[in-house]
Amino acid sequence: MGWSRRNTYWALRLEDGENGGGVRRVDEACWGASESSNMSDATVMLAAIEAGDSKAAEQLLVIVYDELRRLAASKLALEAPGQTLQPTALVHEAWLRLVGDQAPSFNDREHFFRASAEAMRRILIDRARRKHTKRHGGGYQRLDFEGFDLAAPLVDDQLLAVNEALDKFAAEHPVQADLVKLRYFAGLTNEEVSQVLGISVSTAKNYWTFSRAWLLNEMEG
Amino acid sequence: MKGDPGRELVVFTEALKVPVQERAAFLERTCAGDENLRHKVETLLSAHDRLGDFLEEPPTGASVE
Repeated sequence: MGWSRRNTYWALRLEDGENGGGVRRVDEACWGASESSNMSDATVMLAAIEAGDSKAAEQLLVIVYDELRRLAASKLALEAPGQTLQPTALVHEAWLRLVGDQAPSFNDREHFFRASAEAMRRILIDRARRKHTKRHGGGYQRLDFEGFDLAAPLVDDQLLAVNEALDKFAAEHPVQADLVKLRYFAGLTNEEVSQVLGISVSTAKNYWTFSRAWLLNEMEG
Repeated sequence: MKGDPGRELVVFTEALKVPVQERAAFLERTCAGDENLRHKVETLLSAHDRLGDFLEEPPTGASVE
């Protein structure tokens, strides 16, 4: 067990293409360090966003991004073979770790979920791009630690194709593109999405159906 | 309202509520000569028929196999 976990750590570090940062992150995630300071940072940023601080949203995104990456790394390091990252679970766990169970305002949830959706999109797309590059011989030598980067290539390619189509979609249908990010990348339910976007659940469902048809047509075209 | 992307969404959503055999007549009536809109909605309705579980599964960015 110890041996296989160590190998997974290395795979994560190399996968992330960093100079040692990944190992530190995994260790922090495993031993729960620095949780309380991140929690206060996130709540400070949520309050600043509410107060109209234009830079606070970007800073919240950075905090949420770091936390989601830490959680993803610890999940992949500790869970049994066959496990995959579940965006929904990661986002909800990040909420508990960063904001806690203090009664959040409605707007806090909206800001947090929007930041989470964008952070998950960046994490998943960066990962898929790195794997894509490796498969096509660029960058690094291929690494197959414990089968870590053998996650189905088709899944990565679809992820990259969806992301590309989504950029075009956002230019014409920005609200619906936000809905796709919240549902697909952050794994929110129709009910949660409708709260974040301030629309009814039935409208959220209609937007989702329209968005899927639009994106499929774009990707096939 | 011509060229308004929101129109595409509204007509598509309404068309889905109409029985399949009545959709052509519905689009004829609703698009009222706006061939661009009608073509867009017809294309989307066709894509809708092929959706399956497209995007319903969360993306798995990495897995331990």
